[in-house]
Amino acid sequence: MDWRQLWEIISAPDNVPIVGLIPLLAFYIYLAWKQAHANDQLVAQLETDPAMAKTHHRKTWPFKPGWQKEVHVWPFLLRIEFLAAIIVTIILMVWSITLNAPLEEPANPNLTMNPAKAPWYFLGLQEMLVYFDPWIAGVVMPTLIIIGLMVIPYIDTNPKGSGYYTWKQRRFAISTFLFGFIILWVSMIIIGTFIRGPGWQWFWPGQTWDHNRLIYEVNRDLPDIFGITSNLGKAIFGLVIVGGYFALGGFLVYSLFRRYMPKDFSRMSLLQFSITQAFLLIMVALPLKMLLRLLWHIKYVWITPWFNI
Amino acid sequence: MPDKPVPDSDPIVSKSYAAHYAIAVILLMATLLWALWDEAFGMRPWKAYQHVWKDRYTAFLLSARSKSAASQKEVEGSSDYQKLKQNLEEATQQASPHMRELQKQIGDLNSKILSVQAVFTDRRAYVNALTYQIETSTSQSSKQSIQRDLASYKAQTATVEYPDGSRQKYNFEQLEEAYNSLKDQRAKLNAELGDTLKPVTQSKTALDDYVANHMIDLTPTQIGGLEKKVDELSPSIQQINVAEANIVDRCESCHLGIREPVKLTPASMSAKGAKAPDDYAKAFVSHPNPDLLQIHDPEKFGCSPCHQGNGRATTSIEKAHGNYEHWLWPLYTKQNFEAGCQTCHAADMMLISGEVGWTISKGKDLFRQRGCMGCHRYEGYDKEPEELQSLNQQIKTLETERLDNTKQSAYMMKQADAAESNDEANRLNDQAVGLRVANSRIDGRLQQIDFRSHSLMQDMKKVGPNLKDARLKLNKNWIPVWLKKPSEFRPGTKMPNFRLTDAQIQAISAYIWQSGLTDSLPHQKPGNAEHGKELFETRGCLACHSIGEGDDQQGGTFAANLTRVGEKANYDYLVRWIHNARERTRPYCPYEKKDIGPEDYAKKKLPYVFDLGHSKCPNDGHELQVQNMTVMPSLRLSVEDAQDIATYLLTQKKQEPSAYADASYMDDPKLKEEGKKWVRHYGCAGCHEIAGMEEEGRIGTELTFEGSKPIERLDFALFTESAQRGKEPITNPEDLARLPEGPAKESWYDHKGFFEHKLAEPEIYDKGMIKSETEALRMPNLHLAKDQVQALTTFLLGSQESSLPANYQYKPQDTRRDIQEGWWLVTKYNCVGCHQFFPGQDSVLIKMKKYQDPDWKEQLPPKLYTEGARVNPEWLRRFLSNPALNDTDTNRNGVRNYLKVRMPTFSFSDDELRKLVRFFQALSQQPIPYIPEQVPTLTSKETEMARALFSSTAAPCLKCHATGDVQHDAHATAPNFLLAKERLKPDWVERWITDPQAISPGTSMPSGLFTKINDHWVFAGPTPPSFQGYDQDHTKLLVDYIFQLTPEEQKRVAASMGRSTASNAPQRTKKSVTGPSRPPASKSGASAGGSR
Repeated sequence: MDWRQLWEIISAPDNVPIVGLIPLLAFYIYLAWKQAHANDQLVAQLETDPAMAKTHHRKTWPFKPGWQKEVHVWPFLLRIEFLAAIIVTIILMVWSITLNAPLEEPANPNLTMNPAKAPWYFLGLQEMLVYFDPWIAGVVMPTLIIIGLMVIPYIDTNPKGSGYYTWKQRRFAISTFLFGFIILWVSMIIIGTFIRGPGWQWFWPGQTWDHNRLIYEVNRDLPDIFGITSNLGKAIFGLVIVGGYFALGGFLVYSLFRRYMPKDFSRMSLLQFSITQAFLLIMVALPLKMLLRLLWHIKYVWITPWFNI
Repeated sequence: MPDKPVPDSDPIVSKSYAAHYAIAVILLMATLLWALWDEAFGMRPWKAYQHVWKDRYTAFLLSARSKSAASQKEVEGSSDYQKLKQNLEEATQQASPHMRELQKQIGDLNSKILSVQAVFTDRRAYVNALTYQIETSTSQSSKQSIQRDLASYKAQTATVEYPDGSRQKYNFEQLEEAYNSLKDQRAKLNAELGDTLKPVTQSKTALDDYVANHMIDLTPTQIGGLEKKVDELSPSIQQINVAEANIVDRCESCHLGIREPVKLTPASMSAKGAKAPDDYAKAFVSHPNPDLLQIHDPEKFGCSPCHQGNGRATTSIEKAHGNYEHWLWPLYTKQNFEAGCQTCHAADMMLISGEVGWTISKGKDLFRQRGCMGCHRYEGYDKEPEELQSLNQQIKTLETERLDNTKQSAYMMKQADAAESNDEANRLNDQAVGLRVANSRIDGRLQQIDFRSHSLMQDMKKVGPNLKDARLKLNKNWIPVWLKKPSEFRPGTKMPNFRLTDAQIQAISAYIWQSGLTDSLPHQKPGNAEHGKELFETRGCLACHSIGEGDDQQGGTFAANLTRVGEKANYDYLVRWIHNARERTRPYCPYEKKDIGPEDYAKKKLPYVFDLGHSKCPNDGHELQVQNMTVMPSLRLSVEDAQDIATYLLTQKKQEPSAYADASYMDDPKLKEEGKKWVRHYGCAGCHEIAGMEEEGRIGTELTFEGSKPIERLDFALFTESAQRGKEPITNPEDLARLPEGPAKESWYDHKGFFEHKLAEPEIYDKGMIKSETEALRMPNLHLAKDQVQALTTFLLGSQESSLPANYQYKPQDTRRDIQEGWWLVTKYNCVGCHQFFPGQDSVLIKMKKYQDPDWKEQLPPKLYTEGARVNPEWLRRFLSNPALNDTDTNRNGVRNYLKVRMPTFSFSDDELRKLVRFFQALSQQPIPYIPEQVPTLTSKETEMARALFSSTAAPCLKCHATGDVQHDAHATAPNFLLAKERLKPDWVERWITDPQAISPGTSMPSGLFTKINDHWVFAGPTPPSFQGYDQDHTKLLVDYIFQLTPEEQKRVAASMGRSTASNAPQRTKKSVTGPSRPPASKSGASAGGSR
């Protein structure tokens, strides 16, 4: 266990946001879960008492006589926000005093740094480059992410859970979000920061980042494993596999929706459902492809002259 | 999670955040204060330095002032000072009445001017404003109306109230006039005051100058100035900004004492009562070498171009010194700071300062002497082969061009014959003629290239011996033993240890043996070892070679230690080598790439003769390499002497040559190919001449800019981590002892660490690696000492591509360039083994025990402090090419025949001769070309007088100076006067005879022969009556006489002095049995001094 190496990575000024991100993320998930849990309990309680449900209740607390029905933004919200602003200011000031901008030597085109890492917020994208063509990881995926985020209001047919934390009422939305954020984004940033060393090789935390490390690793295309040699064959084979994934996956999503979320499903139009289904499958495809590469050294599944997946 | 009971009062409304706010605001304020402190002090640590500097420097100056005052008192006690002081007082007294009067008048005028000025400037401002309005207003009518206003304003009168109470009314013109006239008056009075005070100021300056010139330290006034400066210092960044070189250095923000005119040491800048100097004290010291700052003015050079570090950074010591990962040019450490010199002075073998003990000079010298450039290219080192190659290329191009021209010209002639018009024919004809002229130019150029090649072939040297002669020279069985570990056989040898396996050793020795020349050598008679020993110890061999091991070792380290030479060398070859090391067995033709033998000469029916005069290849007419590529010169010994020395050297052994294990495998032809592979692999041909490998390239990496290689490009192999964490990978105690600062204690992941470890144990970066024989690092272990590793590291650290503009780098084009080039030759041939070029530089001989004896001191080779001023450059060229100054009788010194040490014949090429002559001229600031001074012909009376001086018993010149008379010259200790005319410069001789000690300290030439009386040099001894009334310099007379001296005249004078030499002769001959004669010169020097 190379503690010095680990400390070097953790203490690098560049990595401070990511080191901070991990506990913060845990804390806020915990906080949100706690709130959601309380709300869910309240909702359950109120559902048994229709009279009570009609009063102005305050999220986790049922309404009590003598309480104000409505509270003003000023001072009751702003005083908390202002407190938060002060605390954030303190944190930013202390941060800026203690850690200077991590400037390095002048860029030298003859000698690029190794590992060359993107800014922390782009490390997830950079990590994706390992598994996909630059065109797919760099252009198609980010575009899909943005479109996917834009499309959420239009495919979200669940009217509940707006303006308060809840888990029971928005199970699908929350778990999909956590999957996309934690698994697809944060974990890839963490891999990019802590795991990827010189040569973008995989170093477990605490392993020395040896610049001279040599590893033997051969990645093969899935069609090659099946002995398909012709280009046309490869393209058709890939199309079948990928098409099969979407067909099977689509059927799975359809049956799960019908079984576990019949209400939501019934509220959705065909267009809304198929868009939801497509994005969901694409999201799941990403970690699947990563696993294929990391565990079985499979480079591409679908090879065509224009793109590889 | 347990549910909390629901509170009765509304928590959102009732909950108080006062405590939260209180804590948050306190924290915020604290952070704010922290930020302010950080801004003012935390990020500006230099402020603290400046505060402390003020205190400590003021205290220092205070104590310096009292010391200075005391020494000033001493100076003031002198009569000269009193006289000057009196002068001042008198002048002041004389001037004071008039001065006081004038000062009073000026004072009155001043107050008058002030009162007028107040009114005048006010009115003038108004006038100017109106004028501007007129100039800029657009309509004619408004112009006119303002004009009118202006006129009426100017006509108005204003009242001026003078200090004496009187009032006067003036209009604008009058006011202007009054003001100007008052000012004129004042200027006149001031000038008068200046005139009156002139004698006073003059005597005051004289007094101040006297004090300043007679005090070693600063005067109290000067210290007062410094005190004032410190007092006025307010904290601010002290910055040197040189836009043209992109230098911004803020080093002096903390290092405030660097340029102070006093010597500041850490101790003197420590706080009162402090035991050890703290960081402040260390930072405040003055520059240890202020002379360097004189040459490299900080206002032009800044600090970082020499010292490196981050000149702009001011936030912390680490940042400013560049000691962090991302600054590529960290401050050079104390041990290697001279690396900074190399960045601009890479072309200087000797830094111009004329000082010895420079680490960087040592590094440069080691790089060359140890043969580093045999494997590593380095700009400027060993450039002959490269130039030769480019010349060969040029020859080829020119020859093709010539052929083309010939063809073209023939074709044009043909065309001209068939031309339709006369004009056309003439034009073509002219072109053809032009081409033929061009060809003749090419021929001329080719000839020049041939001359140059000839020079280059002569200049080209190898560090190691010629291995083509291995069979003729060496004890066969000794070779494998030597290859195993050369330093075992001969500690300190230039031959490094290559870590060869036994199989490699066998193969390499087989190749060397089988590829060697098999010519036979003339058989030599055995000599007299005892005589050989004497010759070896006195002829100057020890200036380069050493003999004896350990404490017994004596001699120079420039060439091999000969302690065990008897075990390896062949007698016949050794005799030839000592007689003339440059003599080759066979000449080498670079064009055919082979050694030329008698058969080639016989084919062309030419005699088998090759030397510098016969250097054309019989086969193709190109230049041949006719010399051994060694710097070892010829001492012009007779064959018998060479035999004696060789016989003596062969007695130098620890075991019999026959005791070496039999190595008959060296004749195995199967090993030869294998051996060739390894010889090539290890780049042996970089240092040795080896058959079949004359044109081998260098095997190592180029090092010209090694110091600026990114650290990532230096291969620490498995030790990157260890280096960063300061672990020491070297375990071999022998190699560990080579590290200049001992085993690593802290991170050595930097250039310095890399170079030091590489030099201490070159194979270190192979440690732990699995590599095949051919992949392993090839760099051999040079068995360097600590200081040598440090010197070479310094050299490499400084090997950087300078970021400074070209005019900052030392690339002079004037005589300084001659000096630059000269030092390369001086160190190449180890001239410094015998001669001294500047005071303080000790030659090898001068340090030897033998020459400490006063008798032997006389036998030291001459000092060359002012050689360029002394000798005629044309003569010098002749002397250097043949120091015997004689074509037939060469077994002698041309000038100082009395010296046992022999000035060798180096066979300098024309190019090197030119460089050396220019070097000596430039070193003494002598112009080139030299135009000899005309020496006036003396009248017979003058000759008579001069002869009287020349033969005066108070200074009998011919007593020590050689005359050509064999009996006399046996105990002469100075050169023959007959040489003077051709050899010396008259003005130098004049300086020499007046004060030889100033030119060559320790010379036996007596001082005080002449004294200066009434601005004339007069002979100190008794002069004959003919000198009555002679008012010219006696020195000049003597010099003119010497320059007109004829052999007959000298003989006559010598004969007349015969008595004095005869009386001393027997005594001296007796002494010379034990060593060279003790010259009477020192005695006569003493007597001359006494007669003063």
